[in-house]
Amino acid sequence: MKVNEALKVIDEGWLRKPKGFRVHFQRQVDFEWVTEYAPGEKEKALDSDVVAWRLAWKLSEAAKPDKTEIKEDELVNIYVVDDLGNSIKYYASNQFEVFNRREIES
Amino acid sequence: MESTFVKYKEMGELIASQGGTFIIALIILVVGLIVIKQVSKLLRLLLERFALKPQTISTVTNIICIILLVIVVATALEHLGMNTLVIDRVIFLVSLAAIGIIAIFRPLIPTLPFKVGNTVKVGDLLGKIEGTTILNTRMRTFDGKTVFIPNTKVLNDFVINYHFTETRRIKVDVGIGYDQDILKAKQILEAIMIEDPRVKVKPRPVVYVLKLANSCVQLGGRCWVDNLKYWTTRCDLIEKTKLRFDLEGITIAFPQLDVHHYHGDTSPEFAGEGNHMSG
Repeated sequence: MKVNEALKVIDEGWLRKPKGFRVHFQRQVDFEWVTEYAPGEKEKALDSDVVAWRLAWKLSEAAKPDKTEIKEDELVNIYVVDDLGNSIKYYASNQFEVFNRREIES
Repeated sequence: MESTFVKYKEMGELIASQGGTFIIALIILVVGLIVIKQVSKLLRLLLERFALKPQTISTVTNIICIILLVIVVATALEHLGMNTLVIDRVIFLVSLAAIGIIAIFRPLIPTLPFKVGNTVKVGDLLGKIEGTTILNTRMRTFDGKTVFIPNTKVLNDFVINYHFTETRRIKVDVGIGYDQDILKAKQILEAIMIEDPRVKVKPRPVVYVLKLANSCVQLGGRCWVDNLKYWTTRCDLIEKTKLRFDLEGITIAFPQLDVHHYHGDTSPEFAGEGNHMSG
């Protein structure tokens, strides 16, 4: 195997480089839960997961969650996804984190 | 004494006969200059709406302003009584001479090593170029200051223009303790760089053991990013490195000095040869 081929194997197999990040969240619209992203799916994704997680945290703080009940227009289940829509680990804890996690009926 | 008096008398007569014309010509010049300044501002605003490059806007505005200035000066001179034909000929000859000089000596004329909109470092100043004139360069630093740098200084000092190359290398240097796992630290640092979408695939990110320093083993991460994303990427990588090292239990070293106290009644113990103190 040539070095170039070995490097190709490493690139494809070791670590995937996401092409961008979005903040995933859910909110109630007309008594139905809808999933949205920031930036939207048609907009250019963020190129920094640090910025994306910061945005996610700010959104969760702005929602001022009440632990007992879900308020109208409250943003729940906030986390960062990559360009494929897969949840990514929070870089600070290396765990899958969700801000304002709520169990909702789909 | 008499000749001076005659001169003053002649001057007085001249002012009496031509003063009105001279004042009107002066008014034409002053009003013309004010109008040109306003037109320049309006034109700049108008061109900005078309989303043109700052360099293009600046060039177009300057050319139009020069043409207007020539017209104003010619009108003022004409009002003073100069022959229109002579003025036209002078303007024509000066224009031709200017074009000829520029064409011939252009390779020899020192040019500023940047354009409007470029991010450059001149001496100790880092910022974005907002405009250039014959005398100075207007730069906006990243902390919001507007600095006017004489062009002579620009031409005589080191200038780093970050727009000449598209990419730039980031250095993430971190020192870890001597008792830490170097290979694990290298792997984490490399993974942090590879995972980041802004970091270029080629040249590949690499991690070196730079130095066995006094207080730490110095690791150096090197990767390449687009110029425009240099600063944010660098900050993110440093933040991630610290957090990931903390998570993985790798201690980042800090400058330290071990001091061994001993009293006269007991001999200090030294591990290395040659460190034994006779006593």
